[in-house]
Amino acid sequence: MSFSRRAMLQSTSCGFGGLALNALCGEQVAAASDSGLEAQTPTLAARAKRVIFLCMSGGPAHLDTFDCKPQTGKKKHPGSVFQFRQHGESGLSISELLPDTAKFADDLCVINGMHADTGIHAQSFLQLHTGDRLRKRPSLGSWISYGLGTENQNLPGFISLNTSKSSIYSSAFLPSIYNGTPIGVNGESMSLATVSNVGSDHLPLSAKRRQLDFVQMLNRGHLKRRPTDQKLESVIQSMELGFRMQSVAPDLLDISTESKATLETYCVGQQKKATGTCKVSDFGRQCLLARRFAEAGVRFIEVSHGSWDQHKNHRRDLQANCHVTDAPIAALLGDLKQRGLLDDTLVVWGGEFGRPGLTPEDGKNETGHNARGFTFWLAGGGVKRGYVHGKTDPTGARAVEGKVHFRDLHATILHLMGLPPNDLKYWHAGREHRLTGPEGGNVVHDLFA
Amino acid sequence: MTSQIVTAVLIGLSIGPGLSSNISAMDQAVSAEDRIFFENKIRPVLVEHCYECHSADSEEVGGKLLLDTREGVLDGGESGPAIAVGKPDESRIIQALRYDGIEMPPEKPLPKTVVNDFVKWVRLGAPDPRVRPDVAPTLDTSTSGDEKPPLWSLRPRRTSAIPEVSNKAWPRDSLDSFVLARIEAAGINPTNDAEPRTLIRRVYVDLLGLPPLMDEVETFVEEYRADRQTAVRTLVDNLLARPQFGERWGRHWLDVARYGESNGNDGLGRNPTFPHAWRYRDYVIDAFNRDVPYDHFLTEQIAGDLLPSDSPTERDRYLIATGFLAMASKPAKAMNTNFDMDIVADQIEVIGTGIMGISVACARCHDHKFDPIPTLDYYALAGIFTSTETMWGIAANEKLTASPTDLHVLEAAPKVLPPEGFVETVLVLESNTGIPKPIPKSKWPVGTPLAIGVRDKAKPADCRVNIKGDAKKLGDAVPRGFVAACHTDASKSLIIDPKQSGRLQLAQWLTRPDHPLTARVMVNRIWLHLFGQGIVRTPDDFGVYGERPTHPEMLDHLANRFVEDGWSIKRLIRSIVLSRTYQLGSDVEESLAKADTENLLLARHSLRRLDAESLRDSMLAVTGQLNREPAEGSIVRHRDILVNLAGNLHEPSNHRSVYLCYLRSSMPPELAAFDLPDFTTVVGQRDVSTIPGQALHLFNNPFVIEQAEHFAQSIMKGSTDDNHRVRSAFNRALNRDPSQNEIDQAIELLRSTKTELRSDNKAWNSLCQALLVTNEFRYID
Repeated sequence: MSFSRRAMLQSTSCGFGGLALNALCGEQVAAASDSGLEAQTPTLAARAKRVIFLCMSGGPAHLDTFDCKPQTGKKKHPGSVFQFRQHGESGLSISELLPDTAKFADDLCVINGMHADTGIHAQSFLQLHTGDRLRKRPSLGSWISYGLGTENQNLPGFISLNTSKSSIYSSAFLPSIYNGTPIGVNGESMSLATVSNVGSDHLPLSAKRRQLDFVQMLNRGHLKRRPTDQKLESVIQSMELGFRMQSVAPDLLDISTESKATLETYCVGQQKKATGTCKVSDFGRQCLLARRFAEAGVRFIEVSHGSWDQHKNHRRDLQANCHVTDAPIAALLGDLKQRGLLDDTLVVWGGEFGRPGLTPEDGKNETGHNARGFTFWLAGGGVKRGYVHGKTDPTGARAVEGKVHFRDLHATILHLMGLPPNDLKYWHAGREHRLTGPEGGNVVHDLFA
Repeated sequence: MTSQIVTAVLIGLSIGPGLSSNISAMDQAVSAEDRIFFENKIRPVLVEHCYECHSADSEEVGGKLLLDTREGVLDGGESGPAIAVGKPDESRIIQALRYDGIEMPPEKPLPKTVVNDFVKWVRLGAPDPRVRPDVAPTLDTSTSGDEKPPLWSLRPRRTSAIPEVSNKAWPRDSLDSFVLARIEAAGINPTNDAEPRTLIRRVYVDLLGLPPLMDEVETFVEEYRADRQTAVRTLVDNLLARPQFGERWGRHWLDVARYGESNGNDGLGRNPTFPHAWRYRDYVIDAFNRDVPYDHFLTEQIAGDLLPSDSPTERDRYLIATGFLAMASKPAKAMNTNFDMDIVADQIEVIGTGIMGISVACARCHDHKFDPIPTLDYYALAGIFTSTETMWGIAANEKLTASPTDLHVLEAAPKVLPPEGFVETVLVLESNTGIPKPIPKSKWPVGTPLAIGVRDKAKPADCRVNIKGDAKKLGDAVPRGFVAACHTDASKSLIIDPKQSGRLQLAQWLTRPDHPLTARVMVNRIWLHLFGQGIVRTPDDFGVYGERPTHPEMLDHLANRFVEDGWSIKRLIRSIVLSRTYQLGSDVEESLAKADTENLLLARHSLRRLDAESLRDSMLAVTGQLNREPAEGSIVRHRDILVNLAGNLHEPSNHRSVYLCYLRSSMPPELAAFDLPDFTTVVGQRDVSTIPGQALHLFNNPFVIEQAEHFAQSIMKGSTDDNHRVRSAFNRALNRDPSQNEIDQAIELLRSTKTELRSDNKAWNSLCQALLVTNEFRYID
């Protein structure tokens, strides 16, 4: 089953035309839809309604976080250099660097058999987000918005916080309405980051509404003189969405209404300085915003922290990265749980690859990149709780059991969202494209509760 | 598949049910729905899995069955018709796909979903919009004794006779005859000429990127009434001679050249500036204004350092031109053994995609899957660039991003010192300790005029194949050379001097009059900027998976003219703008629009949105704030720093947008909302997205608000009468008078805003901003 969204756009009289899911169901697209963002009922039984992706950019060291590799013989070999302890009823092993996350051990579904194709940051990071390591392709969040629309008509379906290159949140050849909306890019302070131009006090909203009404009167007159043009109608619609965002987004971005206790639990604004590779990203505020967006019905929210690329000062920098992310992540999990949101929110944690282990007591403190075996974890959204899937070899160098490639991770996430991973396609430049690439991805059913 | 077939298919595609009665050749109208189904589900499968043996192009047609036309499918081959309409089970094609008796495709059965699509297709009555292709193409057999290149774009350009048309009075330029012939064949009529008010706005924006002033409109309208073509000719010649022309068209080329003033994120978050890149920007603008012949323009950019020069000024210009090859957005050098080859890949990409419209890049790792580019060709080209020293500068002294390089030192360019009291805005921190690094002393005296670019290495050498693109796994060395698929007999004689890199020969090879791609690709780029779509609608992909030209004979006709006219860009633009096709209106009857939704026949002009630069420039022009002088240098000219550590470097400016600072990953905020590319790869055609962020920009961005204030001030100064003011605001922003209803609504907006905010100024600001953000202001017909 596959379809061409583009052809449908051409066949209907509206800008954004038909809907991916209707097409997936083999239905003909009927009437003009407003924006392409309407919430859709997925084809498969969906276990999750939204995704929060905690993107640990730079390659978090799996052996010192979630994949415990103790020494096995007389001869020292690479492995974990921080202490692990078992947590919760499940007895999940988690590093001493993550004491708060460890409190949620029974909620985590740890994948220790992750593997990817390359140890080059930019390429693997792109592959993690888009399935392709070389070319600009639609991001995971764009595919999901394309498939499912958004539950809140006043907000975009895909928001990316503290993001880097636009290729990471691009809709590429998918219709641009599915592009991620960036909040905080390229060195902006994440404590102040916001949606660009979302507000301005040069006019009160009431006056802006009248101004917009006047603009739309002219726009409709302009459209009337050009009845055959399809672009103009979608401009009129997106001006309305922009206006609605003005009334909703500033409040959502304003966390001052949260209780002092909540702000403290999330550690908002608490990280004062960078430590080595560990940058200041006000990760607590990002996590809190993610919860607020999730609650407001945004489909896919990415929050990012980096860099976990601690080469020379492995111990110090890893410790710093863990320290500034641990409590906010725990706060997010706890908050989602308490609000009953964790059941249908899929939380995903991981980076573009892992790192080789250090050998205890040999004095070295430098690590590199390892794409052949590393860790991701999932929580909520219909996955098993307190469960470990797959494993790496005794030195953590490569995945040996329950191997999960990025393609498979993508397929699994789409499946949890109710989208058939290998059938969610889009016709572009002479062939059909899908997130899982020509090879296709395998849904890892073992992870499902 | 030949271009003729594609042309036929495109004609078929453009005919909707509403017009079927006019089309005698079509005995069966295919509904839009069926057509879409066929194009998406059936045709791609036929092309990919069947045409090799079952098409007019097959070396040996299997079972005498042709599947590349509707007739072929219905007539069938040796074993009878391929389908029994409406009866899948009795159709041979379905039996074959099911591997029931016959097995097709022979290698392995197609997925069940595909078979089901074919079953559905047969059940629907096998709707098929394809028509019988024209007679086989006549190749000029004198050009080559070798096998003919299969890809349309690699065949030699053809010289077609100017087609006969019924309406002989219609064409003004021979290109019009090519267009009209297609329109007449489809049984429709082109729309009317554009109104002069529409036309002058279109010509201004297309040639200068700026709207006309109201009195220029009135003068033109009068002259047009007296003598249309003289009026247009005078206008076009006038605009082509203005310096704003180069600013507009130079900007288009800067997109192709992936021009940026910083490296962009190196993958580790670091983004060093290119403090000298702006010189290349100025070089490009100047080249367009002087109408440097395109062949020479390319040669300067590829091998300017190897050209003899008459003066230090010319020498400087040639060295600056090679900046074209030094713009790579480099991935970090740290932990990247492929770094050097990444630079080469960027250079090959900008030559391949930018100049030839063919991506050679994938051949870095394997023979191209679709296009005739083997890995050996890639490394033949790579040898030219591995023999070349690429000079990007000191990369903010961050060696993990890139090692520092030398730069071209200019002779004639003036020495410009940083302003007094200039302080570097950012210190580079040691990445592991966070301690500020001392700023290293530059090897050149402060203010030395420098340029990024390339020069030959001392010891040029051929490049060894990197197996699967890995610089650590080396295969055999490949003699330096060019792309074999584009060779003509004459070009084979170009030999690379082993003591040189071969860039000069590469430039000579690319600009040979008989190179199949260079002229076609550039003509198409020019057409695209005048019509909104190219003749080939994938301007950066003339390969197998690119689109085919909608008017292949016209493309060759124009490319021939371009070359014969001395590769003059201005002359080509002039011819096109003076054509009847260009001057058509964009408003059409619904039946025509429906018959050709994508405007493949060019029976009308297309509505187009102002791009980011033109929108900003138009706002500045209308509000009277535009500084028409070129801006000097760049805000980063004295800053060799990491942009990512510097915060926002942009400063307000009233110069044209092309002079803003195009820092990769940190675009000028006044432009960022409207689909700027990231300037890391060749972009021949920008996206035109419609997203709410654009609306937020238009209504809330400080630049727009400020312009509205200037606009309001000047309108209020002009008169005290509100009616008169409203009229004047419409004149200036939209080049037309408002209707009575529009005046009433404007007065009402003023009244209510004034009442609420108790401010005359704010009311006028609101109205003026409204006019600047309307679709009418932001789109040209």
